[in-house]
Amino acid sequence: MSVHVSDTSVVRGACPHDCPDTCAFLYHVEDGKLVEVTGDPDHPMTRGGLCVKLKNFAEHHYNPDRLLYPMKRVGAKGSGQFERISWDEALAEIKSRWTDIIDEFGAQAIMPHVYLGHQGTLNGLTSGDAFFNRLGSSVAEKTYCESGSSTAWIMTVGPTGGLDLESLAYSKYIIVWGMNMTSTNLHAWPFVLEAKKKGAKVVVIDPVRTRTAKQADWHIPIKPGTDAALALGMMNIIIAEDLYDHDYVEQYTLGFEELKDRAAEYPPEKVSAITGIPVADILTLAREYAATQPSAIRQGVALERSRGGGQAIRAITCLPALTGAWRHVGGGAVEMPIWEFPTKFDAICRPDWIKPGTRVVNELDLGAALTGELDLDPPIKSLFVYNSNPVSQAPDQAKIIAGLQREDLFTVASELFISDTARYADILLPATMQAEQYDLMVTWGHLYMTLNQPAIEAPGECVPNVEMFRRLAKTMGFDDPYWDRTDEEMLQDFYDWDAPQLQGITLEKLKEKGYMRLNVGDADKRAPHAEGNFKTPSGKCEFKASAAADGNFVVPVWRSMYEGEQSGEPVDPLPDYLPPFESPHSNPELAARYPLNIVSPKPHAFLNTQYGNETVQQRRQGEQVVLLHPDDAAGRGIEAGSYVRVFNDRGHFEGRAELTDDMMPGLVMANVGYWPSLTRTGTSVNAISSGKHCSLGQAGTYCDNLVEVARV
Amino acid sequence: MPHIVTDNCRLCRFTDCVEVCPVECFHADEERTYIDPDVCIDCGACIPACPVRAIYDTEDMPEEFVPWIAINAERAATLPVLSARQPALPTAADRQKELGF
Ligand code: SF4
Ligand code: SF4
Ligand code: SF4
Repeated sequence: MSVHVSDTSVVRGACPHDCPDTCAFLYHVEDGKLVEVTGDPDHPMTRGGLCVKLKNFAEHHYNPDRLLYPMKRVGAKGSGQFERISWDEALAEIKSRWTDIIDEFGAQAIMPHVYLGHQGTLNGLTSGDAFFNRLGSSVAEKTYCESGSSTAWIMTVGPTGGLDLESLAYSKYIIVWGMNMTSTNLHAWPFVLEAKKKGAKVVVIDPVRTRTAKQADWHIPIKPGTDAALALGMMNIIIAEDLYDHDYVEQYTLGFEELKDRAAEYPPEKVSAITGIPVADILTLAREYAATQPSAIRQGVALERSRGGGQAIRAITCLPALTGAWRHVGGGAVEMPIWEFPTKFDAICRPDWIKPGTRVVNELDLGAALTGELDLDPPIKSLFVYNSNPVSQAPDQAKIIAGLQREDLFTVASELFISDTARYADILLPATMQAEQYDLMVTWGHLYMTLNQPAIEAPGECVPNVEMFRRLAKTMGFDDPYWDRTDEEMLQDFYDWDAPQLQGITLEKLKEKGYMRLNVGDADKRAPHAEGNFKTPSGKCEFKASAAADGNFVVPVWRSMYEGEQSGEPVDPLPDYLPPFESPHSNPELAARYPLNIVSPKPHAFLNTQYGNETVQQRRQGEQVVLLHPDDAAGRGIEAGSYVRVFNDRGHFEGRAELTDDMMPGLVMANVGYWPSLTRTGTSVNAISSGKHCSLGQAGTYCDNLVEVARV
Repeated sequence: MPHIVTDNCRLCRFTDCVEVCPVECFHADEERTYIDPDVCIDCGACIPACPVRAIYDTEDMPEEFVPWIAINAERAATLPVLSARQPALPTAADRQKELGF
């Protein structure tokens, strides 16, 4: 619904989603009912509009399928049969089961599972970390997304926000690399268009001719998982043709000579063979990128989703230092600006409560962890799922379901709906939706603090995560003052309000204004690394990364701020190209059986699985579609509109074939986000996804999978 | 399915919609605007912006507007993009009154 709103009271809010835009909301309330949610017209990025995903956001709060009360399972696991119980009963059951497990196996037999189903400081990714650290559970490594990028970015330039997306308006050359911005970073796109109007060239590098690629001046299709080779090839040309900024390199970078040698291994012909991009295009791209300043790179998270994804981010993040693009307003690169916010993650997560030596279990290994494939002692005996839906979103879907069916596994899920994961829970706890709770949003696409204030009463017995963990803490007998604080007091303690970025910003002011920009300089003047000032140990852009000395690591924010038990495999201190685990080129044996590479980007009308159960959004998104190049379809007897089965050794799913030369031959695309239980086969795209990790930061390899496609 | 501009826009063309569209998908002739269905990303920002309620989401509109789906697609394909707000047509104020807004 998009109505013309009048005669209603307005409450300021913010979008809860794992999307870089963190839009500022206006909740319109009439007689205690949320009637519409619109974008704040005054916010410089939101500009009055939200996105297709949020079009029915007000109604979403009143979806009759919402989980409103605690429930306990009464049928077989996964049968979806539940019975209402009270909060007291639910908490007592959790306490009794956990106490038994802790007595017999120790607290590490309990594993939390969380991701960014909510992006608030109080209720989001880190909302349960203090509780589970205090409990002594296994530490969950939450590397669904961004972790490979974070590790690579921090190794190269340190925890800096980099280029402000609003500053793109001042760029003359913009590379959107591995991101379908008009679907997944919509509110930064007008700044790209503004630059374009002023004569900037917009280049999109993406295996698929996406709706964003179609709007660009130049789309460069690239084989998935080969981006590092392209970036190294660009360096090769930039250095060989002396197009680099000698002075910038000299003053503000580390390891140029070594990088030069590495880049020399990637001449255009070799890069062309790896990436599938013609030599002439690689030459043009490198020359234009270096010569047209200010040049900007918008890095997409998709880059990390293959074996060498982290190294690709490393290589790409080196480019603006080589060309001196950072000197200019509108020059540089943006991965995510979250690091500009003075969030006190230690105060939130309380890593001091983690006993040294506590083990880490990566969430992407959930299937292997639950089925015993990972040799875990003690085994996982209880799983607590919140802000996440691993059955749909994690790799190795079949294994996860097999694990969740274990009779001896005690599963608790806090949810808005009975998701495909929550179906397998023993206890369900009802969570509030955004208009019903208070939170200060974490943001990874702009530089504003954005406050969400509750606009309506919570229905039934739904509680925000922060309150759920207060209740759980009391139930488990934790008498720490941590859980005696109000939301307001917690937020006071969770940010460094005295930090220069927050000068003049207070919660009181945020309540009135809704959002306030960090004091980090204005978009039309800001050039954060014009004179180096990188946040690395050397203060320089580290082509040769000193952080590589300790081996592979996950940035602590993705692992409850725990510093211990990092995997530490050797890491090349220089960026390099690592071929995908699965591609016809790198794994011909596997490709003999499964010849097609598949990518599974985010859907346009769902946000991961959120809204995948809303009828209107299902209509907007349409049924699961499998995009194929006509040449690949022809040999397989597949016609447009026919249903196809996509499969490999790990599993299968089905969809309706769409044939288009937006795809390169040999490539298949299917969006993630469909609820497996609502599809033809009870499975979705992650049924075929490999559980292997990217070589940096343990990110998933969702875009590094071979499949075969057959007509059903 | 995209958004469409319907008959209310005729002789009016306030172009408030153009200003809020994040992807520049409005095209125009002398009389009115049209939305390019291949570019529109369905954000809905333009609906409340239009002072004469000319814009509809094709997923959520009265039957009578169905013919406008094809009209928008055809006209948008041949007309130039409007990327900035224009002055309203001289007939706009009267037209707005006539439409009752
Ligand atoms: S999902 Fe993203 S674009 Fe959509 S309303 Fe939320 S923050 Fe804005
Ligand atoms: S705001 Fe409405 S009347 Fe004005 S140009 Fe846009 S659609 Fe037409
Ligand atoms: S729905 Fe959004 S993208 Fe489509 S025309 Fe309206 S403002 Fe533009």
